[in-house]
Amino acid sequence: MSKPPTFAVLGLFDSADALLHAIPKVREGKLGRLETYTPYPIHGLDEALQLRRSPLAGMVVVMAFLGAIVALAMQGWMSAVDYPVITGGKAPFSWQAFVPIMFELMVLFATFTAGLGMLFLLNRLPFFGHPVLSSRAIQGITRDRFALSVEAEGGSLDPEAATALLSAAGAKDIEVLSLPARAEILDAAFILRALGGIVVACVVAGGLMFAAIKLFPLLPPMSHMQEQAKLNPYKPSHFFKDGHGMQSPVPGTVARGYLPMGPRTPEEANGLVNPLPRTRENLERGREAYTNRCAVCHGPLGDGVPALTAAYNAKPANLVSDEFRKAPDGRYYWAIVMGKNAMPSHAADMPEEDRWASIHYVRVLQRAQNAKDSDLEETKP
Amino acid sequence: MSLSAKRLWGVTLLGLLGILAVYFVAGPARFWLNWVLWFVFLLTLALGSMFMVALEHLVSSRWSVPIRRIPERLSTLLLPLVPVGMIALGAVPVLYPGARPEALANKLLAGKAFWLGLPFFSLRVALCFLAWLLALSVLVKGSLRQDESRDPQFNVRARRFAPLAMAFFGLGITAVAFDWISGLEPEWYSDIFGIYLFAGAFLSALSGTLLMVLHLQGRGRLPEVRRDHLYNLGGFIFAFTVFWAYIGFAQYMLMWYADLPEEVVWYQKRTQGGWLAVVILMGLLHFVIPFFALLTRDAKQAGRRLHWVAWSMLAAHMLDLYWLIFPVLMPNPVLSWPELSFALFFLGGAFLWVRRVRELGADLPVGDAFLKQGLEFRL
Repeated sequence: MSKPPTFAVLGLFDSADALLHAIPKVREGKLGRLETYTPYPIHGLDEALQLRRSPLAGMVVVMAFLGAIVALAMQGWMSAVDYPVITGGKAPFSWQAFVPIMFELMVLFATFTAGLGMLFLLNRLPFFGHPVLSSRAIQGITRDRFALSVEAEGGSLDPEAATALLSAAGAKDIEVLSLPARAEILDAAFILRALGGIVVACVVAGGLMFAAIKLFPLLPPMSHMQEQAKLNPYKPSHFFKDGHGMQSPVPGTVARGYLPMGPRTPEEANGLVNPLPRTRENLERGREAYTNRCAVCHGPLGDGVPALTAAYNAKPANLVSDEFRKAPDGRYYWAIVMGKNAMPSHAADMPEEDRWASIHYVRVLQRAQNAKDSDLEETKP
Repeated sequence: MSLSAKRLWGVTLLGLLGILAVYFVAGPARFWLNWVLWFVFLLTLALGSMFMVALEHLVSSRWSVPIRRIPERLSTLLLPLVPVGMIALGAVPVLYPGARPEALANKLLAGKAFWLGLPFFSLRVALCFLAWLLALSVLVKGSLRQDESRDPQFNVRARRFAPLAMAFFGLGITAVAFDWISGLEPEWYSDIFGIYLFAGAFLSALSGTLLMVLHLQGRGRLPEVRRDHLYNLGGFIFAFTVFWAYIGFAQYMLMWYADLPEEVVWYQKRTQGGWLAVVILMGLLHFVIPFFALLTRDAKQAGRRLHWVAWSMLAAHMLDLYWLIFPVLMPNPVLSWPELSFALFFLGGAFLWVRRVRELGADLPVGDAFLKQGLEFRL
C-alpha cells in the first residue's frame, strides 16, 4: 500500500511577526498554495499572502440590482398589467409604492448571495473534516501559535522540499498532513441509499399527512358534522316536497316599506309626479341620498364628471344637460328602479322616499348649474 | 488653496456691497431668503462638526482621535454665526407666516401663534446658541487646552459631557429644521424633518473634515493620518448618503400615499416647473453619484476621488437647502446676481474664518490620552 498523498505541510511559528517574515521566503519556493492558520486575525496577512480580492463583492452588487429589478418588474406587472386595480386614487404603475419592496428584495438577494456564496461557492462547504483540524498543531493554533501551511495545488506536493523550505524560513515545528481517505463517503451506493431514504421519508410523511387531513375527519364522531340535516348548495333538500330549501313568497306579496311600482314601461313612468313636497327637509334628504348613491358616477355637481369611474372609461349621464333638465321626474324614477345601461338598479338600496328626494335634489343641481342673473334679484330682501 | 487673505477680504467686501444692493433693489424678501439659506448651510456644517466631536467622546471612538482637531476647528464656525443668526431674526416678520399679524386670522396658525411668534422664536434661537456655545467651550476649548496640559482627565470630562452635548445637538438641529425651514410653511409638518436635516448636516461636516484633512496633507501636514482613517470617513459619507436618501424618501412616500392636502402641497410646490429638475439633480448629486463613486473598497481610500465627492456633497447639501427654502416664494429656481452676491459674501467670510482656525491648536490633539491608539488604527 502506497502512502496517501500529502495535503499540506504545516510550519508553526511563535509570533505573528515571525509568520509575516517567513511568508515571502516560503513563497519564493513556489511549491504550492500558501495558507495561514492563526488564533486571531493579523494585520497585513492578506497583503503578505497576496490574496486575490474576493469576487463576492461583485456578485453581491449584481444580485442586489437583480433583486431590485425583479421586485420592480414583479410589482409593475402585477399592478399595472395583470390585475390593474386603482388603490387610493393612485395610478396603476406607481413607482413610489414599489420602492420599499424593491429595497427589501435588493437586501434579500444581496444577503443571500453574500451568505450562501461565501459558504458554498467560495469556501466549498460542505467539507467534512479539514485535515488541519485533526493535526497535532491545532491545539497550538487555537491558542498561541501561528501556522503557515504549504498546500498541494492541483498536482502533488513534495513533503521533503516543503519541510526544508519551512525550516529554512524559521518554522519551529513542522508537521506533514496527508490527505484523509474520504472517497468512500460519497460513493454511488451511499448516494443511492440517501436518495432512497429521502424518497421513502417523503412517501411516509405524505401518506401520514393525507390520512390526518382527509381520512381522519371522516371517522365518527367527526363525520357527524357533515351528516347533519342542513341546506347544502346545489344539493336537493328534504325540507319541502319540491326539493327546495326555501319557498318563494305568495304571488302579490309586498315587502314592508316597499310599494310595488305602478308603471310597467318607461313611457308609463314618464307620467309619474313627484309625491314629495319640496321642503328643506326633503331636499336635505335628497342631497344625502344623491351623495351616497349617485355622486360617485354622476359627480358631485351632477355633470357626469366623476372622481373614480373615469379610470374605467365609463360615461355616466350629464344630469344638468338640457335633455335632462326637460325630462320628467318619472324618467329619473324609472332609471333608479330599473337601472339604465351600465347603471345597476337601486331598487334594493334606495327606499321610495330617497328616490323621490334625490330627484328633487337633481333639480336643485340643475338650477344651480344654470343660474341666471335674475336669480340674484330674487334673493334680495 | 491659493486664496490669500487679501483676496478673500476683497471677495467678501464685494459680496457685502452686493447683498446691500439686493436688499434695496431686489427687495427684502429675496434678501432674507438668501440670508436664511446661507445661515442654515453654515450652521449645519458647524453643528455637524460639533456632532462628530461629541460622537467621538460619547462612544469612546479611538480611530477618529487623530482627525478630531479638524471638526473641532470647523465647529468654531458657530462663533461668527451668532451675529449672522441674530441678523437672521430680521427675516422672521418678513418670511415666516406664523410670526405675522395675519396669522391670528388663520385658524390653523392662531393656536400656534405663541410658539411661532417672534418673541418665543428669538428665545429659542438664543437658548440654542447658548447650549451650543457651552458645548463648544467644554469640548473644543477643553481639547485645545489639553494640548498644553496633557491632562488625561479631559477625556473623562468630555466623555461625561458628551451625552448632554448630544441632547443639545439633537434638540437644536430639530429646532433649526422646524423653526427656520419648515416654519416657512407652518401648515406643513413632518416629524422626520429634523432627522432629514441632521443627515445633511452630518454629511456636510464629514465632507468638510475630509476636505480639510486632504488640504492639510497636500501641504505636508497631518502625515500621521493614513488611508485607514480616510477609509472610515469615506465609509461614513457612503453610509449617510444612503441614510439621507432613506429618510428623504420615507418622508416623501408617506405624504404621497396619504395625499393630505396640507402635506402634499409642500411637495407639489417643490416638484413643479423648474424645481423638478432641481429634485432630479439633487437625487443624483446627493445620493446616486456618491453612492456609486464610493461603492468599492478602494474608492473609499482614494484621496482624489474622496476630494471631489466631498466637494460635490457640500454642493448637494447646499442644493438641498435651496430646494427646501426657495420654493416658498419662487415658482421656479432662480440663480442671479443676488444669489451670487450672497455666495461671494458668505463663502468669502467662511473661508476667511477657516483660514484663521486652520492654525488653531496642533494638527493632532497631542495631549489626548488615546492619540496613540488612534494613530495605530488599522482597518
